[in-house]
Amino acid sequence: MKNALGREIPERIGSRVVEPYKGAFAVRNEGRKAARYQKSSWPADDKVLPSLDAAIDATGLSDGMTISFHHTFRDGDRVVNQVLAACAKRGIKKLRLFSTALFPTHAEVIDHIKSGVVSRIEGSMNGPIGHFVSQGGKLSEPAVLRSHGGRWRAIEAGDVEIDVAFIAAPYADPYGNATGIRGATPCGPISYSAVDAQYARKTVVVTNDLAPFPVYPMEIQQGWVDVVVEVDEIGDPENIASGTLRLTKSPTRLLIAQLTTDAVVHSGYFKDEFSFQGGAGGISLAVTKLLGDEMEKAGIVGSFGMGGGTRMLVDLLHRGLVRTILDGQAFDLDAIRSIREDDAHVMIDPGMYANFDSAGCSTYKLDTAFLGATEVDLDFNVNVNTHSDGLLLHGIGGHQDVASGASMTMITIPTLRGRIPVIVDSVTTVTSPGEVIDVIVTERGIAVNPKREDLSERFRSAGLPVRELADIKAEVDRLVQPVAKPIVGDEIIAAIEWRDGTIIDVVRKVEGFE
Amino acid sequence: MAAGAVTGSDAKGDCFVIVASSDAITIDITTKAASLVAPGIRKLIESELELYDSPPVSVRIEDYGALDYVLKARLETSLRTALPRVKRTSRSVDRKETRCDRPRRSRLYAPGSNPRLLVGIEVHGADCVLLDLEDSVPVSEKASARILVKHLLSDIAFPEEVWVRINPLDSGGEEDVREVLRGWPHGLCLPKTETADDVVRLADLISTIEADSGLPEGFVKIMPIIETAKGVLHCAEIASADSRVVMTAFGAEDYTRDVGAQRSRRSLLFARSMLVAACAAAGIQASDTVYADLGDMEGLGKECALARELGFDGKGAINPRQLAVIHSAFSPSEEEMAYALRVVEAAEDAEKSGVGAVALEGKMIDRPVLERAQRLIRYGKRLAGGGDDA
Repeated sequence: MKNALGREIPERIGSRVVEPYKGAFAVRNEGRKAARYQKSSWPADDKVLPSLDAAIDATGLSDGMTISFHHTFRDGDRVVNQVLAACAKRGIKKLRLFSTALFPTHAEVIDHIKSGVVSRIEGSMNGPIGHFVSQGGKLSEPAVLRSHGGRWRAIEAGDVEIDVAFIAAPYADPYGNATGIRGATPCGPISYSAVDAQYARKTVVVTNDLAPFPVYPMEIQQGWVDVVVEVDEIGDPENIASGTLRLTKSPTRLLIAQLTTDAVVHSGYFKDEFSFQGGAGGISLAVTKLLGDEMEKAGIVGSFGMGGGTRMLVDLLHRGLVRTILDGQAFDLDAIRSIREDDAHVMIDPGMYANFDSAGCSTYKLDTAFLGATEVDLDFNVNVNTHSDGLLLHGIGGHQDVASGASMTMITIPTLRGRIPVIVDSVTTVTSPGEVIDVIVTERGIAVNPKREDLSERFRSAGLPVRELADIKAEVDRLVQPVAKPIVGDEIIAAIEWRDGTIIDVVRKVEGFE
Repeated sequence: MAAGAVTGSDAKGDCFVIVASSDAITIDITTKAASLVAPGIRKLIESELELYDSPPVSVRIEDYGALDYVLKARLETSLRTALPRVKRTSRSVDRKETRCDRPRRSRLYAPGSNPRLLVGIEVHGADCVLLDLEDSVPVSEKASARILVKHLLSDIAFPEEVWVRINPLDSGGEEDVREVLRGWPHGLCLPKTETADDVVRLADLISTIEADSGLPEGFVKIMPIIETAKGVLHCAEIASADSRVVMTAFGAEDYTRDVGAQRSRRSLLFARSMLVAACAAAGIQASDTVYADLGDMEGLGKECALARELGFDGKGAINPRQLAVIHSAFSPSEEEMAYALRVVEAAEDAEKSGVGAVALEGKMIDRPVLERAQRLIRYGKRLAGGGDDA
């Protein structure tokens, strides 16, 4: 069947009956959420166990179960590998790995897939694991990718039932209260795991810094936690910024950042109480910096800047250019310190950030956001998951949540990556639909979604280089020979969920090239 | 690597092309994302080889994200190394002749040997992009750079002007001209120009090649670069040496070295003022030297303000990041434009009512004031219209 974007979607994916995507805001879910497991405790109960092995035994973890993790240490995480190694040693098989995201540091997962310890993955696969899974025939059911808000929704809806949640906690007390912003190796907010902790059958806090009760802020609460275990190492905070947090020196990227900033300034949204989300990519960081200078010049104070927190964003708070920062994730140590020290730097969890099945999302309060893409197409659809060769190499992150929430969503992209054009006729995979994308900023000009005539008029009268996306594409296509098109087969590698739980697209196995 | 003529590098945006004689054409390609891009590269190389009158060759390509024009250039360089007499049929280039009085607030330098730094050089809005074959190109890469620049010129559409800074005529400059004119640049920058004769020699060479290559007569302009004591003393004759000369540019680094001065505002004042006066007398534009401290935008702004105060029309840039500051400094401000419009209006009113002397806001408006106002308005209009209106 075809979904509302015309993407060919099967009726069933593995054991799942597919609900096709109907539109960015076409569904209002009703009824009740799934119920949580009953837990109880008596005053003398002791949750601390001496080792990860003991913890795993205590949870009753066994074949076919679902285990979950957060990704806040990003490429510096050490918990996923330790837990999986322990599971492998115990002979546990067919686990469903339900991490918010996996990174190159988790490449050991590939061996666990080969040996049958892991047979399913739901969550982002950045890099080698995605590459491996894309070869086909690796998992017993296709992977499922969800946005931050979408994952939260899926747990609450009972779409995914977690057996054991393992929570890497930089600072925790023996009763299970835990946070990511203190301790020996802080990684930033760990509230990605708050919903896992509440809904899992058993919840294990894994810390390298066990401190006396009470530890605060209580991102993870004692009432959710069954087991606390201390280990030598949970992650390296130096690697939370892997591949993202670098100020760009590329003239092309700086030009895109400048055009993006100019567009924001002339968008009509740029006034007191203005709000935006800045990411951790090179262009986003530069825009955050440039935008701050423009706000200062214009005497504008923003209501909030949304994280992933970075030192650029913190700088705006300290200069009084934004009243608050709402942050679910930290990309550097400056951001983590600011969360500790600045009371206007507020931690929010992904449910508050962007849970579709809730009575309010912070992303809906955004005036603008600048996001990346691996591909965009002439319908303004955006792909962040696969490359043009069809390989599944990136997660969704908050892309769908922010793109559909912000009043003006801007995609900031160079038109070429090496010899590969970024603007294509039709994206390999739809992550976020064109209906939620307003502006595409490239070094060759600014393309405005035809539904936002108001914006193109404003940009034009400000003298900004507004162009048809097709014109920009044609200009780029003259620089390089066309790239080959992948030929896909029937096997589905992954399903891409829209944030309401419908299927917006699937990633199919690439069989060859035209 | 196989034996044969090798050109290129493994830098991002570049490639190695290795060409050797062979019984039959073979093309071997290694690249990232090969399944996506290798077929396109193969097609490109096949169609390029048809343009040469060469016997069969084996071509090996190691690609690091090179655009088509880079591949073509590297192929040509290797082919000509392997088979010195080989000729390529070149096509005409889609580029229009520029206007002499086009606004040239900025001239952005880009090293002509470095594909990574050349990619997207056309999109930054520089009034003139200067593809450099001189100081930024190592001697060992002079030959490959001029071929690279030629292919860049042929393939890339520049929204404003594109120029090539050649080497001095006696040290490779002549070969530069013969090669790059096939790419139809708007003009050539002649470094270390010291006499009118230097300009005339270049103009004559251009005229010969224009006639041979289908370029319209007078298409290619000249921008002498004045960067020696001798050049400064001769700049009046240089500026008026040929009708192709539309602007001269000042090079402070070489000049201070030549006269034994330390670089300062004071030590450059004479040369700068000479240049401005010479250009004004010849009715052409003058462009100030580059500002080398990329991190210091405030310093750049001050230098631009000084240059404009002295009468320069524009300034050199070593990085696109400098363009915004330069453009804003050399564009008439809103107040200046408004005042100029008031001057012209007052003069027109006075003429209508037959009054001889005109005053505006208590100041006398004489002929030079009026002419300057008219010139500013024309300049402003050209800037707003991108310079292509008549």
